[in-house]
Amino acid sequence: MAAPHAWRAARVTPLGELLAPPRITAALLRLSVQVVLVASLWRGLYSHTGATAGLTRDQAVTYAVLAVLASRLRELDQHAGRDTVLQHMHFGTIIYWYLRPLPPQRYYALRAFGEQMYGLAWALTGYAVCLAAGVVEPPKSPAVAGVFALSMLLGQLVLYYVMLLIDQLCFWTLRNGAAMLILIFAQNLLSGVYAPLWFFPDWFITMSRFLPFQATLSVPLSIYVGRVPLSDAGAQLALQALWVVALSLFTRFLWRRAARRVVAQGG
Amino acid sequence: MRVKAVRIVWRITRLNFRAQLEYRTEFLLMIAIGAIWQVSVIVFATVLLTRFAGMGGWDSSDVLLIPATRMLAHGLMVLFLGRMHGIGRYIQEGRIDIYLVRPMPVHRQAQLEYFPTNAIGDLTVAAGLMVGALSRSHLDWTAGRTAYLIAALLGGMLLEAALFTAVASASLRFPSADYWSRWLEDLLGTFGSYPLNVLPRAVGGFLTYALPLAFVAYLPAAVLTGHGHDTGVPYWLAAGSPLVGVLAYLGARLLWRWSLGHYTGVNG
Repeated sequence: MAAPHAWRAARVTPLGELLAPPRITAALLRLSVQVVLVASLWRGLYSHTGATAGLTRDQAVTYAVLAVLASRLRELDQHAGRDTVLQHMHFGTIIYWYLRPLPPQRYYALRAFGEQMYGLAWALTGYAVCLAAGVVEPPKSPAVAGVFALSMLLGQLVLYYVMLLIDQLCFWTLRNGAAMLILIFAQNLLSGVYAPLWFFPDWFITMSRFLPFQATLSVPLSIYVGRVPLSDAGAQLALQALWVVALSLFTRFLWRRAARRVVAQGG
Repeated sequence: MRVKAVRIVWRITRLNFRAQLEYRTEFLLMIAIGAIWQVSVIVFATVLLTRFAGMGGWDSSDVLLIPATRMLAHGLMVLFLGRMHGIGRYIQEGRIDIYLVRPMPVHRQAQLEYFPTNAIGDLTVAAGLMVGALSRSHLDWTAGRTAYLIAALLGGMLLEAALFTAVASASLRFPSADYWSRWLEDLLGTFGSYPLNVLPRAVGGFLTYALPLAFVAYLPAAVLTGHGHDTGVPYWLAAGSPLVGVLAYLGARLLWRWSLGHYTGVNG
């Protein structure tokens, strides 16, 4: 496919954002306030406590702030652009995905890529500011930084496939609002957005090992702050890669099945 | 509201409820979501309480009263006044224009748009947490203290509704301002559930005077548990939290009325 066409599809949602100034202002304010609040909270909590669950104060603050920044990567609101699978199923416009000279799965992937790149720009800017202000610690070594970047990339791929899976659910259930809300909740809880997973009881940590969510955020952030040493990172990266492969194959299978189910305006 | 208006509201609510029951799975899932969402707050609070030695000088039984109060106030808000959250979508889709030509106040029509099934889950978990918090509490629950707690719940409900109504008023001018209400919900859920004195004074001040979520649960709980003088807020103001909720809601409704008067739809 010609690169300009891909670029046009990828930039749709970010362009929508840039055309709505209140959204940009809100994103900036929200991110700044959230970072300040989260950093203050963990510093406040650690004021009477030393290291707990293997995390020192600076590690916990770094982890929590990076989790806030990383959550920007999937913040975009496709709903405003009327381009969620749910909306297309509701209005019957999903049929256009199958009439274009571009496979629906590729269109979906391009849109997601554009969104995540836009989110990455926010996250990287926030990271640079937090690093300069001393809110987060820099990585311990270039090797840690490299492994973290790779792990984060794998994490984003896992996240993409999980979101895709929920969207594909629409082809069978027509509505996925409830499932999407449950997913967002599970994602936040089991990936360590609410609090680093290390603080949770052992049974909870064991349970989350069998689910893909911790591969999205907890693993890369634990590598970054040094809670998972580089010697153990190989196994974690392999597990992340395994999730990427498994989810990729499964979603590919579902795309094929979904294509047979698409009915618009009564067929 | 006159008797006839109340009767119409009741009939529409019953119809909305039956409409929700039409999709059984979605109905049950929505209840589950309300419950699950609130469980996350409990998990977060539990993790904090078990891992860290006390919070801001409060013992854990006192701390529990904060998420319990906030959650119950939130559940009541979702049930009675919750449809302001997400109204930006109605505005974008032009549905608000239909409300304008019907013989019923726009605000009331927005509230009657659908039945908030998730509030059932919210309230169930919140009631459970409140029972747990009260049973672990060492306080003497006199009639005065109980009455104050009920007033605090109603005040918290009105204050939260006021914040969402203010965002909805902004949505009438900038439909994408609706984005702020999601953030507001996050903030209320995360930072409305523990003593704000663990935060630096400036941050606590921001969450008290700029974005007054301290009045929803933290300050009333501080007054109830005897921490009212250590909040950094004048005691009379902390004790008057329920009244702050009432005043904020009245102010938000005036703002809504004014914004609606200046609303111009896509047709100008």
